[in-house]
Amino acid sequence: MAEQTFFVDIDCYQQKKSGQNAFGDCFKSRRYTDEGRLLAVLSDGLGSGIKADILATMTATMILKFIEEGKDILKATEVIMNSLPVCQVRKISYATFSAFECTDEGLIKIVEEGNPDFIHIRNGAVVEHEPKVITSKKFTNRHMHLYNFKLEPEDRLIFCSDGVTQSGMGTDEYKLGWRREGLIQFVEGEVLRNPTISSSHLAHEIVKEAIRKEPEHKAKDDVSALVLYFRKPRNLLIFTGPPYRQDRDAEYAKIFDDFEGRKAIVGGTTANLLARELGRDITTEKYNKGMLPACSHMEGVDLITEGILTLTKVLEYLNEGYDRWPDDAAGRLIELLLDSDVINFMIGSKLNQAHYDPDLPLELEIRKNVVKQLEKILSGRYIKKVNLKFI
Amino acid sequence: MEESGKISLELCFGTTCFVMGASKLQDIESFIPPQYKNKVDVKAHTCLDLCKNSTYMKAPFVKIDGEIISEATVEKVIQAIERKING
Repeated sequence: MAEQTFFVDIDCYQQKKSGQNAFGDCFKSRRYTDEGRLLAVLSDGLGSGIKADILATMTATMILKFIEEGKDILKATEVIMNSLPVCQVRKISYATFSAFECTDEGLIKIVEEGNPDFIHIRNGAVVEHEPKVITSKKFTNRHMHLYNFKLEPEDRLIFCSDGVTQSGMGTDEYKLGWRREGLIQFVEGEVLRNPTISSSHLAHEIVKEAIRKEPEHKAKDDVSALVLYFRKPRNLLIFTGPPYRQDRDAEYAKIFDDFEGRKAIVGGTTANLLARELGRDITTEKYNKGMLPACSHMEGVDLITEGILTLTKVLEYLNEGYDRWPDDAAGRLIELLLDSDVINFMIGSKLNQAHYDPDLPLELEIRKNVVKQLEKILSGRYIKKVNLKFI
Repeated sequence: MEESGKISLELCFGTTCFVMGASKLQDIESFIPPQYKNKVDVKAHTCLDLCKNSTYMKAPFVKIDGEIISEATVEKVIQAIERKING
């Protein structure tokens, strides 16, 4: 039996301190698909607003860059801990951080300095870990907590800024704030209610709940929650464009049909080709939504859209970012994309001559180029694992 | 003509047709004169695969009872339907 691979689903949700126009916490992450590892840093800058934003961004970016350039996570964070300046007024560090490196096998190294201790949830209950404490040679009040362990399938880790654990502090109900215990209770409840809750969803719920503890529901500090969920990957296969070699249509149609996970076809000709090879009917919705051609339906396929116009729109929407994706074929494709962990593209290389007719009222992009740009944004900003296969 | 006795009107929503004007044909049903409405069956397709063949002239394409209409517009399609019905 093939070895089961797992996926590290991470996401962070943040709210600014009420009245500020910049985030004082910073989350940075990078996934290295080829090496099967992921780096992430959550940093909390002292104070709030622009100053905190710069401190946190600087700290998170530096840690990420150091590790990226081959430095061990412990070495990288030690350098940062020793070099971060001290606030002249408060005599405390300029920024705190949590950083971790996690492999696809679930081996995780965590370094924390100053942030609330992370929470490890396994089988619905908390697992506590003893850290190795490393004290800064330069600043004796700075301690890094180092953890090294292996995640098991369905494990979750929750990291947060103190804006979460200290929310509601000073109110009658939460004199000392929501605290880590309150957060644990909430997370346990959420996971019990929805055992497959995604990292993105749980991070949102934590931040929303923290802000509910505050008087008038106004955040008194920057509030960030970073969630890691080690689980079976949700796979998506997108077949777009007819294969270069027509004699291999049947072979590719079989690969598509046999794929385990969700499937989408992006392209009218591609949809016809698969319908023909698989012997199935396609029905097309009669009314287009927005500026894009309507979606179609076929048994065993989750979504069928037109090709290049829809892909170009998807790229445009992802670049712009929306709270709610527009209600058209591109919006529906984005929902499918963002709800998947591993996105596989099968990109047919055959060109449609009609797309190069100079009489076309607008210029159509080349499919290959659009997909390459999509790969960049999906793996960069949306931390997805993306595989491209040109056929 | 279809088995139901209705005229079959097929629209292409492929990329080429769509940018060449098929986007304006989606409302075709509302332009069909009321007396003919129940005599026409409108169906959309992902692609009629006609743009790849230069013998069919220019997109957008529409099929009426299998007959190809190129550079289709609402007027052209309505006229073709009337011709079909009135013989």
